[in-house]
Amino acid sequence: MTGVPLIAARGIYKAFPGVQALDNVDFDLYLGEAHVLIGENGAGKSTLMKILAGAYHPDAGTIEVQGNEVKIQNPREAHSLGISIIYQEYNLVPFLNVAQNIYLGRAPRRQTPLLGALVDHKKMHADAETLLRSLNTDVDTHATVKFLGVAQQQMCEVAKAVSVNARVIIMDEPTAALTSREIEQLFNLIRLLKSKGIGIVYISHRLNEVHEIGDRVTVLRDGRYIDTKQVSEVTVDDMISMMVGRSIENLYPRNYREPGEMALRVTGLSSQALRLRHVNLNVRCGEIVGLAGLVGAGRTELAKAIFGATPYDSGAVEIFGQPIEKNNSPAKMVRRGVGLIPEDRKSEGLALILSVAENVVMASLERLFPRSFVSGKKEASVVDGAIKDLAIATPSGKRQVQFLSGGNQQKVVLAKWLATNSRLFIFDEPTRGIDVGAKAEVHSLMDRLVAQGAAVLMISSELPEILGMSDRVYAMHEGRVVAEVPRAEATQERLLAYMMGQENGNTRNN
Amino acid sequence: METRATTEQTKSLPSLLQRVPAVAWVLLALIAFFAMLAPGFFTLGNFLNIAVQGSVLMVLALAATIVILTQGIDLSSGAILTFSGIIAVLSMQAGLPAPLAMLAGLLTGLACGALNGFLVSWALLPPFIATLGMQGVAGGLAVVLSRAGAIYADAPFFTFFGSGRLLIIPMPFVVAAVAYLCTWVVLYQTPFGSYIFALGGNEAGAALSGVRTKSWKFGVYVFAGLLAGVGGVVMAARLRAADPIVGVGWEFDAIAATILGGTSFEEGRGGIAGTIAGVALIAVLRNGLNVIGLATAWQAAVIGTIIIGAIVLDVLLKRKGILK
Repeated sequence: MTGVPLIAARGIYKAFPGVQALDNVDFDLYLGEAHVLIGENGAGKSTLMKILAGAYHPDAGTIEVQGNEVKIQNPREAHSLGISIIYQEYNLVPFLNVAQNIYLGRAPRRQTPLLGALVDHKKMHADAETLLRSLNTDVDTHATVKFLGVAQQQMCEVAKAVSVNARVIIMDEPTAALTSREIEQLFNLIRLLKSKGIGIVYISHRLNEVHEIGDRVTVLRDGRYIDTKQVSEVTVDDMISMMVGRSIENLYPRNYREPGEMALRVTGLSSQALRLRHVNLNVRCGEIVGLAGLVGAGRTELAKAIFGATPYDSGAVEIFGQPIEKNNSPAKMVRRGVGLIPEDRKSEGLALILSVAENVVMASLERLFPRSFVSGKKEASVVDGAIKDLAIATPSGKRQVQFLSGGNQQKVVLAKWLATNSRLFIFDEPTRGIDVGAKAEVHSLMDRLVAQGAAVLMISSELPEILGMSDRVYAMHEGRVVAEVPRAEATQERLLAYMMGQENGNTRNN
Repeated sequence: METRATTEQTKSLPSLLQRVPAVAWVLLALIAFFAMLAPGFFTLGNFLNIAVQGSVLMVLALAATIVILTQGIDLSSGAILTFSGIIAVLSMQAGLPAPLAMLAGLLTGLACGALNGFLVSWALLPPFIATLGMQGVAGGLAVVLSRAGAIYADAPFFTFFGSGRLLIIPMPFVVAAVAYLCTWVVLYQTPFGSYIFALGGNEAGAALSGVRTKSWKFGVYVFAGLLAGVGGVVMAARLRAADPIVGVGWEFDAIAATILGGTSFEEGRGGIAGTIAGVALIAVLRNGLNVIGLATAWQAAVIGTIIIGAIVLDVLLKRKGILK
């Protein structure tokens, strides 16, 4: 790479409450280059790109655009510097047409005197038409975006990004929702953009795409810059080991024992809407089964489908040997002894403004008080027992849950399910946003649960947690369970390879 | 992918019919029903009546529609309508020429809308709370300023907007038509209009596209307030008086008309064309129930039932894919 980079970021720092998202990160991009950015969930890829696009401001560090230092205050300024970003999230307006979306915020006005406030629809559609044709797509500029397919919506996003005369286009996991044919179309588009001298930053979880579309690749890990390589010089295995890098500290308190009766058996569960494809898995009493996968692999969706919170199309679920009628409700699953500790504790696991006591008994009111009248005494004994048993740090059961720390909140969720006499627990990211000390406590509680004969299915994006806690691990990729790995054979490299869809990567059995 | 897109774009007759909201069919059924029951209903004279009666609601419903398109809500429009009418009439009583007094009424609506917009955009109150507060403030001030009674004005220029005619068309209807046209231009011909859909459809996405979402949301409430002011002045002109409780509950009719017309609280779906049908339904119902002589006490319950029924029908037909 020679000459002045289109864009160069040096020594970028960015912290969010409780996390150092970026820690002295460098990144640069040259004319006509596709620079792939990879890293695990939470490595800081999206944060770095949002800084380049003006959506976040760095705490420290410099950004240069073609050699000139700039401060990018907001998305508008990024546009005027020729930097465009296609976010992971959907950024189109559903009930506007394609042309209106492409030129949102920049619609051409009529030139006629007095009518300058009005949109020149003719010119806007003509411009959009020209633009879309130059990108070799045939999307109708008058079509309402809501009714387009995912791939065509993606084309709109690309066209929108190009339309600001972008010299740098950042794509954050653009292929996440696309089929392989659509991905091929997108790659052709990227090659076309490169040939026009546009630089592409490409964030991806799919390592097999790196060689196909990338020129250079940069790896981030835990907010830190690891390395930048020519794509031709690295293998998929190299990239995985750069992404993983760390060794697991031995802070997982597990006592392994012989598993007992079957607690959960899922056979051929599929759902078009949830993007789940023929999922098979099982969990026995006395074991913790890890469910690994990247964001968007369908783990949370699977958990909610099993729990009866969202309907699925086909497949069978058995709980403690009993077949479950399809499209069950959480209420019935709770009665069968299943508890879900959701990923989003604050919105789905707890009623934040209610007290610890109210949260603890929430799921077991009918069981505790079959005559429909709540007895304060009985409630207090259950709640006080839970507080003591789980060592929940709260002055009393009357404390509002919102004032507890993350770890204690998680214990309250757990207490809620213990009060229902649950025996199968589905943990979705059990220690996300919890500090290290409380993490260990939650982990030892999980071990205690299985020691008492309960079964645990644990979703986690932290591979060390998966490896440290699980008896067995299932790896999910794009809505499928792609591998089952026993504890003895599980390594970060191997799981990551499965999670990335590298089924034949560096492993023997599938 | 391509095939799906082309089927979407084919506009055969059935697919056009699919886009007619259920409310239109209910409306036709009601017209047929009243026409059979009451001979006086299906006459030009009565339709002009309906048009006049529906005009002020139309103006208010336009405001409700653009606010709901942004996923907001305006509970203050009825109170702003009342307050604006009071200010216009009081200004005339104080000796201001009719045109200026009417302008004062409009500016009152605009100012109330601006306050709503400020509370929503910058004080970050939920629209429900902000406009509920405004309902109390504007409604209360209307009572105070009118000393809790109707106040009268009969300047010819003023009353012309209530009972005058342009050729044979009643003036309130002309005003509603002009308001519709202006709203149509704003919504479909200006960037502001696109931002209204964007605020409802994907506010974060719009902000990331460089749209100044707060300012435009402020603008939406200002525009809605202005329309409520227009409604208030026309209403007062029709009655030749401003009454401190004339607008009570109108915000709900306006919201009902909007929802009936197919505008939804989700994703910025809808538009003002459907709102015409929603307003027509409510106006025809009120008029028709009077013409067939149903006791006033029963009317509210019947109207409420039919509104809910029409909305449920629309939702069910959409869910089954019979309507779009």
